[in-house]
Amino acid sequence: MPPEGVPLKLEVAGLGVRLAAQITDVILTLIAAVCLLILVASLGFSSPGTLIAIGSLMFFVIRVPYYVMSELAWNGQTLGKRLMKIKVVSHDGTSLSTHSLVLRNLMKEAEIFLPATLLLSLDAASPLASGLALGWMAAGLMVPLCNRYRQRLGDLVAGTHVIHQPVPVLLKDLAEQPAVQTARQEGGGFLTHQLEHYGAFELQTLETLLRAQETTVRAGSNRKRDATIEAVVEKIRQKIGYANKVPAAQRLEFLRAFYNAQRAHLEQRQLFGERRNDKHYAAEDMSP
Amino acid sequence: MSKADLIRSTRFRKEREADWQRLEALVAQAERDGLQRMDFTEARDLATLYRQATSSLAIAREISLDQALLNYLEALTARAYLSVYAPQERLGGLFRKFFVQSAPQAMRRSWLFILIGFLCMGLGVLAGYQLYLENPAWYHVFMPPELAGGRGPSSTTEELRRVIYDENPSASGLGAFATTLFSHNTRIAIFVFGLGVFLCAPAILLTFYNGLMLGAFFALHAERGLGPDLGGWLSIHGVTEISAICVACGGGVQLGAAVLFPGDKTRTQALYHAGRDAAKLALVAAVMLIAAALLEGFGRQLVQDVSMRYALGWGIGLCWFVWFGLGGKARQ
Repeated sequence: MPPEGVPLKLEVAGLGVRLAAQITDVILTLIAAVCLLILVASLGFSSPGTLIAIGSLMFFVIRVPYYVMSELAWNGQTLGKRLMKIKVVSHDGTSLSTHSLVLRNLMKEAEIFLPATLLLSLDAASPLASGLALGWMAAGLMVPLCNRYRQRLGDLVAGTHVIHQPVPVLLKDLAEQPAVQTARQEGGGFLTHQLEHYGAFELQTLETLLRAQETTVRAGSNRKRDATIEAVVEKIRQKIGYANKVPAAQRLEFLRAFYNAQRAHLEQRQLFGERRNDKHYAAEDMSP
Repeated sequence: MSKADLIRSTRFRKEREADWQRLEALVAQAERDGLQRMDFTEARDLATLYRQATSSLAIAREISLDQALLNYLEALTARAYLSVYAPQERLGGLFRKFFVQSAPQAMRRSWLFILIGFLCMGLGVLAGYQLYLENPAWYHVFMPPELAGGRGPSSTTEELRRVIYDENPSASGLGAFATTLFSHNTRIAIFVFGLGVFLCAPAILLTFYNGLMLGAFFALHAERGLGPDLGGWLSIHGVTEISAICVACGGGVQLGAAVLFPGDKTRTQALYHAGRDAAKLALVAAVMLIAAALLEGFGRQLVQDVSMRYALGWGIGLCWFVWFGLGGKARQ
C-alpha cells in the first residue's frame, strides 16, 4: 500500500466500534446544536413554533462541517474515532484527499441521517413512508455487512477504509540469551537433525506459550500450567528423539533453549532460501 | 557473553531498537500535536526513521521468525506511515482553491448532467402548469398543504397578492415561513443528490415532482393575472435556489450514471471517479442554497418593486453563470 513498496497490513475496523464512534460524534454535535439553540431562543429571535425547525437546521449546519473539518485536521479522525482508536485511510495508500473526506461524509447524510430524521418526523399514520425510510436505512446498513472491507456506500464512493489504529508494543526478545550458552548449561544441546522436525508455525506457537509464562503468574492456574508445560516438553522430546530426561525444575529452561536453537536453525535455513511454514514442509516439497 | 553469540535476528534487533523507540516517540508526538508544530530536526528525523523502519520491516520479514518483533514493526511502520503521509493542506488554501478553481471546472466538466437536471425541472414545471390549467384540482395533489401556506385555488386574488407584496414584513412570521421553505428546499437538494446513486431514477423523479409543484403554483397565479408579479417574487431567490436543486440533481444523476453505465471500469471504480465531480457539484449546490436563504430572508421582504426583484434575481443568476463559465481557466 505505501509508496515505499513495502506492503503493510492494516486491520479493518468492525461495525460495532464504528457505530460507537458514530454515536459519540452524534451526541457531541447534538450537544453543540442544543447549546446554540438555547442561545438563539434566549435572544428571542424566533417563536417557539419554529424552534424545532431551526434546531434541526442547526444540527445539520453543525454536523456536516464538523465531520469534514475534524477528519481533515486530525488526519482521518473525528473525536469519536479518536476515542475508539480507529481511523480513516485511503484505499490506494496515498494521503487522504479533501475530496474523499467531503464525499464520504456527504454520503453519510444520505445513508444514515436523512432516513433517520424521516423516521423520526413521520408519524405512525403513514406506515408506508416509515417502512420505506426503514428499508432505505436497512439497505444502507447492509452494504458494509456484505462487503469484504466493511465499507459503507460513502467509503466505496470516496475510496476509503476505516481501520483500527495499530498499537506498536515491543515485547522482550526471547532469544536474548545466547543460544550456545544455554545449550552448554543444558549439557549437550541439540543436534541439527533434531531441529529438522518443526517449522515456523510451531516455533511461533512455542513463542506464544513462552510469553504467556512470563505474563500470567496467578496462583490458581499454576497446576494446570505445569501440566501443559510437561505435556509440551514430553511431546517435543518424543518428536526429536531427545534422550535425556528433563527434570521438572528445568522444563521451562529446556523449552527456552529449544526455542533458541530451533529459531537459529530455521532462520539460517531461511537465509538459504528455504522457508518452512510448518512441520508438514517435507510433504509439500514432495508434491509440488 | 559476546555479541557474536546471539543469533542473527536478535543482533539485527539490538542494533536498531533505539531508532525504533525514537520513531515511536516521534509518531506519538506528531499525532498529538500535529506535524506543523514539530521543529525541523524532529520532522526530518521522523521521515528518515520512518524509511529506516520500513526497510527494517522488509528485512525482518525475510530473516526473522520472531512473531512479536514482526507484529511490532508492522504496527510501528503503519502508524508512522499514516502520520508521515497525512494531508498537509491548510483549510484556508483549500477554500480558496475550491472557489477559484476546482468548483467551476467541475461544473464545466459535468455540464451534460446539470443540463439533465434543469431539463427535469423544466419538464416538471411545464407539466404542472398544463395539468393545472386542465383541472385546478391537481393543485392539491401536487402541493403539500404546509408549503402552500394557505394559498390555493379557493383563495382570492387579493389574498394571493398580499402574500407577494408583503405590506407588513415584520409581522408576517418571517422566521417561520422562510425557515420552512428553506429547510424543505435544502432537504430536497440533499435527497436529490444522495438518491442519485440508486440508479438515477429517484433523483430525476424528485426533481420532476418539484417542478410539478412549481408549475402548478405558477399556473394558479397566472390564471389570476398575477404571473409577472409571482415571477418577481420567485426569481429574487428562486433563480439561485432552483438552480441549486438542479445542480444537486446533476450531481446525483452523475453518480447514478456511473453505476448504470460504468464503461470499461468496474462499478466501484466508476463510482469513485464520478464522485470527484459530483461532490463538488453538491458543495456548489450547498453554497447556492445558503446564498438563496440569505436572499430570501432579507431581499424578498425588503425589495417590493417587481422590476427590482427581477433585476436582482436574474442578476445574481448571471453572476453564478459567469463564475461557472469563466472561473478557473488555465492561464495561457
